[in-house]
Amino acid sequence: MARRDYAQDRESIKTFLSEFCKCDDDGKKQFVYGSQLVKLAHREQVLITIDLDDLSEFNESLAEAVIDNCRRYAGIFSDVIAELLPSYKQQEVHAKDALDVYIEHRLMMDARVRNPMEQRDDRNSFPPELMKRFEVGFKPMSTEKAHSIREVKAQHIGKLTTVRGIVTRCTEVKPMMVVATYTCDRCGSETYQPVSSLSFTPVHDCPSDDCRVNKAAGRLYLQTRGSKFVKFQELKMQEHSDQVPVGHIPRSMTVLCRGEVTRMAQPGDHVVVSGVFLPMVRSGFAQMIQGLLSETYLQAHRIICINKNDDISDKEAELTPDELEELAQDDFYERLATSLAPEIYGHLDVKKALLLLLVGGVDKRPDGMKIRGNINICLMGDPGVAKSQLLGYISRLALRSQYTTGRGSSGVGLTAAVMKDPLTGEMMLEGGALVLADQGVCCIDEFDKMADTDRTAIHEVMEQQTISIAKAGIMTTLNARVSILAAANPAFGRYNPRRTVEQNIQLPAALLSRFDLLWLIQDKPDRDNDLRLAKHITYVHCHSRQPPSRVKSLDMHLMRRYINLCKRKNPTIPDELTDYIVGAYVELRREARNQKDMTFTSARNLLGILRLSTALARLRLSDRVEKDDVAEALRLLEMSKDSLNQTHDHQKGHVPNTSDRIFAIVRELAGSGKAVKIGDIMDRCTTKGFKPDQVDKCIDDYEELNVWQVNMGRTKITFM
Amino acid sequence: MPCSMDMPSTSNGLDHYSQRDPSELKELLKDSTAWHAIPLLNYTPLHKLKDQTLVRFRGMIQDMMDPEIYLERYEVKSSDGSKRLQHGQYHDCLKLATGESIDYNAESNVHGERRTLFVVSVPGLNDWTKEHEGKCSPQPKLLSQTQSPNNAKKRTLDDQEAMDVEDDNDTLLKRKCVEGTKSDSSGNSSAAAPAVLGSEYLINSPLPSRPSMACMVKVYEDFDSYKLNSLVDFVGFLSVDPSLDAATIDTEGFDSLSELQATHPSPFLIPRVHAFAVQHLPHANPLLDKSLQQPADASASEDLSQTSVHKDLRMLLKLCLFDDDLAAEYLLSHLISSVYSRSEMQSIGKFSLNICNLPKESLAQYTTKLYQVLELLLPASHYLAMTLETMNTAAFAPKKDYETNKLVSGMLQLAPHTHLVLDETYMQQGKLEANGVLAIQHLAHLINSQELKCDFQYYQIDYHVNIPVLVLSEGRSMLPSDFVLPINADAKAVELLDESLKAAHHYLQPARLQQFRKYLTLARISPFNVSEEHTEMIQQDFVDMRKANAKSNADDLHGLLVLSRLLGIARGKNALDKETWQLATEFEAKRRQRLQALPKSTVQLRN
Repeated sequence: MARRDYAQDRESIKTFLSEFCKCDDDGKKQFVYGSQLVKLAHREQVLITIDLDDLSEFNESLAEAVIDNCRRYAGIFSDVIAELLPSYKQQEVHAKDALDVYIEHRLMMDARVRNPMEQRDDRNSFPPELMKRFEVGFKPMSTEKAHSIREVKAQHIGKLTTVRGIVTRCTEVKPMMVVATYTCDRCGSETYQPVSSLSFTPVHDCPSDDCRVNKAAGRLYLQTRGSKFVKFQELKMQEHSDQVPVGHIPRSMTVLCRGEVTRMAQPGDHVVVSGVFLPMVRSGFAQMIQGLLSETYLQAHRIICINKNDDISDKEAELTPDELEELAQDDFYERLATSLAPEIYGHLDVKKALLLLLVGGVDKRPDGMKIRGNINICLMGDPGVAKSQLLGYISRLALRSQYTTGRGSSGVGLTAAVMKDPLTGEMMLEGGALVLADQGVCCIDEFDKMADTDRTAIHEVMEQQTISIAKAGIMTTLNARVSILAAANPAFGRYNPRRTVEQNIQLPAALLSRFDLLWLIQDKPDRDNDLRLAKHITYVHCHSRQPPSRVKSLDMHLMRRYINLCKRKNPTIPDELTDYIVGAYVELRREARNQKDMTFTSARNLLGILRLSTALARLRLSDRVEKDDVAEALRLLEMSKDSLNQTHDHQKGHVPNTSDRIFAIVRELAGSGKAVKIGDIMDRCTTKGFKPDQVDKCIDDYEELNVWQVNMGRTKITFM
Repeated sequence: MPCSMDMPSTSNGLDHYSQRDPSELKELLKDSTAWHAIPLLNYTPLHKLKDQTLVRFRGMIQDMMDPEIYLERYEVKSSDGSKRLQHGQYHDCLKLATGESIDYNAESNVHGERRTLFVVSVPGLNDWTKEHEGKCSPQPKLLSQTQSPNNAKKRTLDDQEAMDVEDDNDTLLKRKCVEGTKSDSSGNSSAAAPAVLGSEYLINSPLPSRPSMACMVKVYEDFDSYKLNSLVDFVGFLSVDPSLDAATIDTEGFDSLSELQATHPSPFLIPRVHAFAVQHLPHANPLLDKSLQQPADASASEDLSQTSVHKDLRMLLKLCLFDDDLAAEYLLSHLISSVYSRSEMQSIGKFSLNICNLPKESLAQYTTKLYQVLELLLPASHYLAMTLETMNTAAFAPKKDYETNKLVSGMLQLAPHTHLVLDETYMQQGKLEANGVLAIQHLAHLINSQELKCDFQYYQIDYHVNIPVLVLSEGRSMLPSDFVLPINADAKAVELLDESLKAAHHYLQPARLQQFRKYLTLARISPFNVSEEHTEMIQQDFVDMRKANAKSNADDLHGLLVLSRLLGIARGKNALDKETWQLATEFEAKRRQRLQALPKSTVQLRN
């Protein structure tokens, strides 16, 4: 690599700083760095951050050079700025601290005492570090990806590197000496010693001409006020759990922060740190050992605290074209659903519902009334049907989630507790699982085993999405915009189909109606399913891996990002669909009245349908809810009701086949009239979970029986 | 013995190894017999070993530290201005003669990366295993011992007792030596710095009651092949330079004193080994390790067929289990079980067993006595009496200590195939505190998914383990298990328990023991196939089973498959046949019957 011409770089940096500008909205030129330089000159700002995006726009190769040899360029930048600063000074600056005064005095004294014969700059005798009252930091290019600590290797030494991790330890912020100033007890002259490493050896003998010539052996004394200190903090950061390969221990790294980047993070914070990766020069430690080793550290330039769940920078959240293509296949809805807990066999509709729960409906209606968009689902079922596994999987997949069991959590543990700080005596609020899962999913296993008093705490959360607290002098409302995924066992060990849902789970209707979908997972012997399951298990045992299934399940990370992407969409329901939805709802209510339904149908179901259909639209990354979405939402609702009701069928002995059921629907549709449109039949039947070909078959079957006639265009049937 | 005759010459040669080209050495060590002559650090007192000699260390990776960047080659300037290049590989300290100094800025300096692994000798290694391994280790001669050939001859002539005595002496010496340095170093450093970490903390044994030996192994290649908790056999250069001790270092200017001490413990307490040859061990049984030089008497035992050994072993177990044949079958299956594959969330092949319904009258000593027999059979195992106190106080899962940057070990950090025997009969009524609840959760997680949750404070990471768990309890265990087997104690056998256990011990003659031990380990690692036609049979059976009993589920099928596999392997088969499958279904049916017969508990416990 050709050596860079630093003098030339210096010049271009100078022009960059003074001339780089961006156009703001009004078309005016904004001198991004020029205005900052003014502030620096007036001591109103300490840290100047150079955005490498800007630099690369100005001079691409220079920006690359900065990344490769960051420390040196930081020095050059700071020298250039020091040079430029006096010209940016627009008014007299008031001294801010002792060091300012000190520097001013020294400059004045120096100007007076200085030998006029000597041509020298009045600052030369002072180390530049003492004079600089600003700091330079670099902001990495936005294309730069955050590494894991594991990926940072020897080749990164000296380069600007961005690392992601969690802070595990941080020291107190301490002053670190940058320039030590000494005064000689004999001649009174001052000596400066710039300190660049973590420790330094104080100078004792005065190096001034006076003392040297006279052999006075003047002793130097450290002058605290004249020395320059900078804030200093050492952080330890460690890899995120997802960056650790299987069977390895998370790595850690030391981060040194100076000046303005101190106090940016605390233990437990998830951070992205950009800085220069450097070997540490330590003295004092028996050189025999340490001489061979060099410790490394990251000199931080920029620390950003991130919430782990905000999935870092947008760069990483974005899907690559490959991934998009993989997702854009026709069956993506099924694929996404099967990819949920792939180790659990079947239960496709339950998984679809859970997928919608993860995506969530749209929160606010355009007319301003606030209605929750989060979908609550309750899974019921006999013991050992993998409910807990489903819950566990969802809580792992969701960006924000809390997993609790009903037994183990009290109402306070779920909502919020008021604690008294033992030290200050202040009252504090401590968020419970529901508050912690705000904007996420709260999975509650063994929902039925919760004490009644604790369960009532959830009522508010499930509909209002807030938690109100009024105790011990604290009155407040906390947000708990969570989707609740609950799992419950039937009260009598097994689900008794002759009883109502409330009786079976022993949950009050007020709570049950707050669930958009109630699902009964049953484990019934079924030849085909059992055989498939047996095949699956034997395959796993014989070949030590999952069988090559038709649909390859999607990677968890990809799913997470896709779901995140979906959540950004805010689809609306177009007016023309209102009639369809209203009609469907009225039908639901009517049915609930007529049939002896074991489930519960209320206005909440209508909202549930809206939520589910908006979630479906989100899943398609669409801004509009389509009729199909509503149909699918209705189907899911129907299926969930079916799962609760289907158990009757076995008792009755007479199992109406699909055609019979479809016929019943058609009969209903026809009412007193004689002719029915096939389009209407299709609509109605699909909402009940029948497939078009089944409807066609039914139409054909009954035509053969001469029950009705179909017209030539196959648009209408007329009863005979 | 030809090997032992060779020994002195090679051990003399060892001293020159450090000067020899590492690549040449590596070539030499490709042959596993070449490993024979290298002394095992585990069984050799440190004072007998010189710095920079070739040693061998067998153990489990307990912790991994951050990588070190070191000078692979560096330039040394001597006082007269001449320069030379020095290798930094396999060294902890700079090699400088007096008057020489290192040139940090020399162009020819090369930086390299190495990793430090914290390795502890296999936790829970049983006495016989240690004894045998110790016998396999050649004892290095100190330079003063000039008549070493004589010595070696004498040793081969000596009978076993003499060997044992000597061995004991050695370990005694070692203990003393370690203790000596311990007290020394703590004495020294307590004067220098107030906060000193105890040697127990530094050694970090997973099982505090059975302390391990620790060693810091520096590896130079294949960094990603090392997994936590795996068994590894390292050959490398010993490094015990006293200056490595943080206590001798001028600690001024260090913020994190305790971390420094933890990463630089006294080399006499925790020696350093610079590894250049590595062998990943599939099991801890020294009898089957070719790289260990087997003592003369070990190979003498004639090899019986698998089936007859199986029969004998089953007999023995039956004797110890109140004459319960079914229990013997299940226990035997448990003893040879191993997780042989993992797919997504399942670990396949685990066979955790809960033997319950132990007769009350003989409860008191029975569990320990049973364990004494198992201890003789297994290379590594650990017995844990689940008293409330242990549950509430002991450390179960490893936890990261950020003060010292160490993964503080817990009782469950065990090497693969280390059997954990939990004795629930010691549990009393009382309060399980936070730690106890956590401990139960860790145990349940271990049993259910063969994973160990390590606590990194800000998050937890699951590590794969392979620890068969046997729970002994009076009633059904509070812990989950794959197979719950209520024992069907024969009234007469209960009375005769003491006699039969005595008989069992008498029966276990050394030669027979060796057979059993070899058999168990071989069975554990042997492959097993299921042919296409049999899978179909199994599938059909499952469908029928479901028809007959709707309650049976996928777990039952998993259980049946594992059981039939183990029953087959135990009988020396390498593929599933109909007979074995039927045997398994029959056993399961019997077991289920027994379970049904158990009195129903009023308190419902969920796994």
